[in-house]
Amino acid sequence: MPIKKKQKSFSLKTITGLSLGLLGFLLPLFFQFDGLSYAGHIALGIFLMAAVFWMFETIPIYSTSMLVIFLQITLLSQQGLLYSETQLPEAVPEHQSGNEWLVPPGAIQDGKVLIMQDSQKYKPMKVNILKMGEMTLVESADISTETRLVADTRHKLVGYTPPGFSVFFGTLANPIIILFLGGFMLAGASVKYNLDKNLTNVLLKPFGQKPMLIILGLMLVTATLSAFMSNTATTAMMMTVAIPIAMQVSKEDKFRIILALSIPIAANIGGIATPIGTPPNAIVIANLTQQGINIAFGSWVALMLPLTLFLLFIALSAMRILYPPTIDSFILSLKGNFDKSLKAKVLYALFGITVLLWFTEAQHGIPSSMVAFLPIVGLTVTSVMKQDDIRSLPWEVLWLVAGGIALGISMENTGLAMWLVSSISWDAFPQLLLLLVFGFVALMLSNFLSNTVTATLLIPLAVSMGTSGIAGEGFSLVITSLVIGAACNMAMLLPISTPPNAIAMSTGFIKTPDMVKIGIIIGLVGIVAVLVLSQLYWPLIMN
Amino acid sequence: MSDIYIICVEDEPQVLDVVIRDLEKLEEVFPIEIAHSADEARQLINEIKEEGNKIGLAICDHIMPGDKGVDLMIEMQKDPFTEHTRKVLLTGQAGLEETIEAVNKAKLNRYIAKPWKPQHILEVAIEELTTYVIDHEKELLPYMSVLDQERLQQAIRNKGYV
Repeated sequence: MPIKKKQKSFSLKTITGLSLGLLGFLLPLFFQFDGLSYAGHIALGIFLMAAVFWMFETIPIYSTSMLVIFLQITLLSQQGLLYSETQLPEAVPEHQSGNEWLVPPGAIQDGKVLIMQDSQKYKPMKVNILKMGEMTLVESADISTETRLVADTRHKLVGYTPPGFSVFFGTLANPIIILFLGGFMLAGASVKYNLDKNLTNVLLKPFGQKPMLIILGLMLVTATLSAFMSNTATTAMMMTVAIPIAMQVSKEDKFRIILALSIPIAANIGGIATPIGTPPNAIVIANLTQQGINIAFGSWVALMLPLTLFLLFIALSAMRILYPPTIDSFILSLKGNFDKSLKAKVLYALFGITVLLWFTEAQHGIPSSMVAFLPIVGLTVTSVMKQDDIRSLPWEVLWLVAGGIALGISMENTGLAMWLVSSISWDAFPQLLLLLVFGFVALMLSNFLSNTVTATLLIPLAVSMGTSGIAGEGFSLVITSLVIGAACNMAMLLPISTPPNAIAMSTGFIKTPDMVKIGIIIGLVGIVAVLVLSQLYWPLIMN
Repeated sequence: MSDIYIICVEDEPQVLDVVIRDLEKLEEVFPIEIAHSADEARQLINEIKEEGNKIGLAICDHIMPGDKGVDLMIEMQKDPFTEHTRKVLLTGQAGLEETIEAVNKAKLNRYIAKPWKPQHILEVAIEELTTYVIDHEKELLPYMSVLDQERLQQAIRNKGYV
């Protein structure tokens, strides 16, 4: 029987997602939430809709990002529909006697009046409320006859200064996006000139012909490549190496399972190691940068490499115990046949220089995203990457990340993220428990959602907990964000969790339960390992 | 997503049985349809077209009552719907001239001479269908279980998406 593609269930899912998304968008327009600004309500609507669309994949996840940016420029920017030409409503305080003034009741909020600085800016000022009534009598030494007050403290400009639309567009040229673009160019050129494949063959040779050594080699090489290239492309390439090995093994030998599992696992884990390893890392870095915290390329690697190696070791040991191989040696024909053309050599040189500069930022101080422009320019100037090659880069990933960054901006500057986290009294939580909750939620969510989307939804919450101080003493913004970022990349329970998992599954060498078993081990051990590192090791590196 | 069909056109029932048996492994992903003559084949192609599906591979005998296999293939090549269908001619009796015509005008992809070795048809079908899906399908993973995994993985790598 031919496989019938599931068309009907798809449209039901689409309709559900579409209606829930629109409902989410409209909800904040009909409900007034206390303590949330007018702009916060709009940001909440955008947030809910984006979250639903990303979860249900009602529309492609990158187009949800585009929609987010579109709604931001039309609704939340200074030039948009709601905020262009908008001015704060004025109220003139009426002098009674001495320091006593009559003001409209709408001008007072939590015992404060808002003194206007210009048509869009104001300064809150504490006053003593003496008598309420049609007009409220207040006492303040700071009010004079020249003073203009904001007449309505619920006005849409209160609690929000709309940024120019270019701030939202600008996310697409955010330094982290450029860093990724640099990574894409290097990865694209490597595929074009078979650098990845040849490197693999050379690097695998020393691992000999014993099964578990070969697996160790495959995992280390996969992890290394996926730290610089896309996890998906790395997995597909490594599968072309693994399939001939699998063909030498009888169908009953569990070594086939190890072979097919080790590659996606190593690709997922390898993505943790560098800032350009996977898009969630970009979300972490972009959000931290907005708070003035910069993490250099080399520092990121120093923070994450022990975790990466440990997880690879755990995965290898677990697979060895679960699926003991019976075959004892292989014949591997590995030929490193490096392209020796001039263009290929330009690529090798640019690759080497770029990576070297990335790792030595502490010495020369050039930010990694500036360095990333070197391969972008270098590879195009020398025609190593031509028009067609540039067109085939995964641009939609950049849009996805840009939308994530843009949503983070609005969640922060409308006070939405703050409002979301302030409903719970976090200082009652021990810091470690807080990290555990964040890590676990990230792990669970990203098993079902795109890793990038999970990071996009969670990181702004962590950031506002850090900046607002509501999380209590000892809360580290950096550590929490890193825990979330790492947890997003450790989700590999199901075939749908990551694209590398889907690729491995499609080979037919493994069944879902195999993946789930290893996925649970990596997820749980990984969370514990991250927490240990966050307490004992990361503080050492960061100081 | 629409289905990708394999069609087999052959007038001799015994031969057809053998072909279908050889291709059994592919049927879970690529539905197989048969026709006993060029006329039947035309009807079949129309039906598949109307249901919104595609034809990835046509395996066709040459000597049949009515129109010859090569004529059918030339016709398919001219029709945009079947232009990209991989075309395999299966015959022992096509002369040199007809074969040349098939290669030039029908853009024949493969020629299998009767009698063929067991497995040969399956190998050819896998190779041709792999080429077809790499060239014409966006999502390659559904085909991994029955087609050439190495080539499909290679194609995924070349597309280089994240």
